[in-house]
Amino acid sequence: MAVKHTKKLFVRALNKKFGKDFDLAGQKTEYKRLGPEQNARKREFMEYAKKLEGKRGMTGYNPYVHAGGIPLGQRQLVPYKLSGTEYVVEGDDLHFVNNPAMQQMWDDVRRTIVVGLDMAHEVLQKRLGKEVTPETINNYLEILNHAMPGAAVVQEHMVETHPGLVDDCNVRVFTGDDALADEIDDQYLININKMFPEDQAEALKAAIGKTSWQAIHVPTIVVRSCDGGTTSRWSAMQLCMTFIDAYNMCAGEAAVADLAYAAKHAAVLQMSEMLPARRARGPNNPGGLSFGFLADMVQTSRVAAADPVKVSLNVVAAGAALYDQIWLGSYMSGGVGFTQYATAAYTNDVLDDFCYYGVDFANDKFGGFAKAPKLLDTAKELATEVNAYGMEQYEAFPTLLEDHFGGSQRASVLAAASGITSAIASGHSQVGLAGWYLSMLLHKEGWGRLGFFGYDLQDQCGPTNVFSYQSDEGNPLELRGANYPNYAMNVGHQGEYAGISSAAHSGRMDAFAVNPLIKVTFSNPGMVFDWADVRACFGKGGAREFRAAGDRSLVMPAV
Amino acid sequence: MAYTPQYYPGSTSVGINRRKHMSGNLEKLRDIPEADVVAVMGHRAPGADYSSTHPPLKEMGEPDCPIRQIVAPTAGAAAGDRVRYSQWTDSMYFAPSIPYWRSYWGAINCKGCDPGTLSGRQIIEARERDIEAYTKAQYDSEMTDVALCSMRGCTVHGHSLRLEENGMQFDMLARTEMGSDGNVYAVKDQVGIPLDRKINLGKPMSEAEAKKRTTIFRADGIPMCGKVGARKYDEAVDALHHMWELRSKWGFRPE
Repeated sequence: MAVKHTKKLFVRALNKKFGKDFDLAGQKTEYKRLGPEQNARKREFMEYAKKLEGKRGMTGYNPYVHAGGIPLGQRQLVPYKLSGTEYVVEGDDLHFVNNPAMQQMWDDVRRTIVVGLDMAHEVLQKRLGKEVTPETINNYLEILNHAMPGAAVVQEHMVETHPGLVDDCNVRVFTGDDALADEIDDQYLININKMFPEDQAEALKAAIGKTSWQAIHVPTIVVRSCDGGTTSRWSAMQLCMTFIDAYNMCAGEAAVADLAYAAKHAAVLQMSEMLPARRARGPNNPGGLSFGFLADMVQTSRVAAADPVKVSLNVVAAGAALYDQIWLGSYMSGGVGFTQYATAAYTNDVLDDFCYYGVDFANDKFGGFAKAPKLLDTAKELATEVNAYGMEQYEAFPTLLEDHFGGSQRASVLAAASGITSAIASGHSQVGLAGWYLSMLLHKEGWGRLGFFGYDLQDQCGPTNVFSYQSDEGNPLELRGANYPNYAMNVGHQGEYAGISSAAHSGRMDAFAVNPLIKVTFSNPGMVFDWADVRACFGKGGAREFRAAGDRSLVMPAV
Repeated sequence: MAYTPQYYPGSTSVGINRRKHMSGNLEKLRDIPEADVVAVMGHRAPGADYSSTHPPLKEMGEPDCPIRQIVAPTAGAAAGDRVRYSQWTDSMYFAPSIPYWRSYWGAINCKGCDPGTLSGRQIIEARERDIEAYTKAQYDSEMTDVALCSMRGCTVHGHSLRLEENGMQFDMLARTEMGSDGNVYAVKDQVGIPLDRKINLGKPMSEAEAKKRTTIFRADGIPMCGKVGARKYDEAVDALHHMWELRSKWGFRPE
């Protein structure tokens, strides 16, 4: 009986939003039409706008120009609870412009580059006859952590960056070779054995082998002034200068070109691929970020491995903010609407409830995570059940339906729950994706509506791409990304696809989804954003408790 | 023997109503005067001439084209009318029609129209005199309940919100209101511009009537999948599973 799996996790959030004494099941209410004044953040905006009036010399924020004089707040303006946390913030606090944690999450991606050390060491040893030892590596890393933020190491009379503006910059190394790791100074090492549970550490070290890598995070302020495409250039320049200093090389000799080539091309792992000209972005920009890479960036898998739903939902949250709010909502489009779509997937414990319901149901049926057959029938049974359960919750709790007042929000949440359940149950992302698309069709059939136009395009024809491995039509979900042909324009999907990618692997208790280098790099304790607890970090950002990097106030007059 | 299309599966009232909406064989419940429909649409003043984007087709000297010989133009196309729209918002609390069924109704029954389907609204665009006729047909028929459905060109918010205490669908712009006589009145046009007079749209359906005429599956009405712990799939779900499975397998194409 599936009844026992019903937890109604969202009820607590609804009580926080609508008030404890509210009739959560009532289908009618009195709309008081209290306007923007009912909401603390809108009041703050209006008061601040008043202060700016004289300074700007022109009009600005004024909610009374909305809809010909009818302002926001004709219904109750309710706050949002960050799912799985105790943070309750206003909706406005979840727009990335108002949320420094969301900005930092994206900054942490685009300021990161992974560069292999082995190729450079071969050049030093074989071509130049230099000795490379743990001592020389530690010396190199000390110099590198001076140089990478923007300091000089070889030339005289150079300008340098203020250490207080670039203090988030750091470089640590990691390797699958325990013997080498033991020789690296702790401050420069990402210690896989320490950061990951034992089974995950063994799997990661086996995948990385004897190779050694640098997790490089250039200063946030650099990528905020330039963009993600600059990261490999900035890092390559400082890497080369550091090699010259650490290994007493000639600054002009041709061997430096080998080091530069390794640092810029041959030994580099960008966080995301370059986009085609029509989307006109360099590497390390969000449109080229694969779902599998994002799944590996999020670190919940190493701190809460026993809870694959929590792992997946933190990936969903990261993806919703990055792909929906920042990429589609700003790089590709603009404005404010995308935030409203995206928040549904990581607030008010709704997706959590639907997923836990589904995964508990699947566990009962199949005997545990990743135990269900990797078949269409698995997706059919689980997605139908989870989707039906979710729709029934929206029907039984009108305030829940009101909370997800747009069909796109409901479509994302229902399909994500169906997909994540199917992926965790089967340990297969393609089975999860099949569950996603079935949910979309069932949702549309039941209520005769789905999302905005894009959902028709993407989701009704979508089942045909699930099992297609032809290059322009399909791919394993982990290798698809924001620029996959049918996904490139549609809010409310990409974060969820990343979550389904993650779910398949978290269900299998894998140490990583696609790339062990990404997984280890983002475990670096020097990251500014908290990649292990994405939703709580967004909550901190919304509650104004999060301190982002890249702040310029050190070199500006006080406000 | 004449062929009767089987538009939709299922033997529940929802299945039957869905078939009825698609067939166009709908019950007429009211007769809202054309001038009132035109006023709520807000594109032209009632009685004013139609704006045109080209001369009447007869004056244009059309090219020799077999398709044009087969397909008679609509009245609006023949006259050269501009293309205008009407857009509806239907409450999820048992409104008779729902966006996809308004679209299916339009696509099957209305010549020369362009339906667009979203979650909170459904638009049909057509030549102006044609869309006026299609809009009146929707207003007058059982597709529409005047409390649970309304024409909203913008700021459509309301389909998923709780109803007002008097049973009206929430509308931020309050384009319709419940009169003390129990009739619903339009007081603003589609885009929220106040009308110079209140337009009587008639009485709303009772809750029982709306539930009887609705095309939406709901757990508290006709459920699509039974209930938690006791699933029973409607025939529509079986048909949909079949379609989903074939689409998925077609995409694999291992050859």
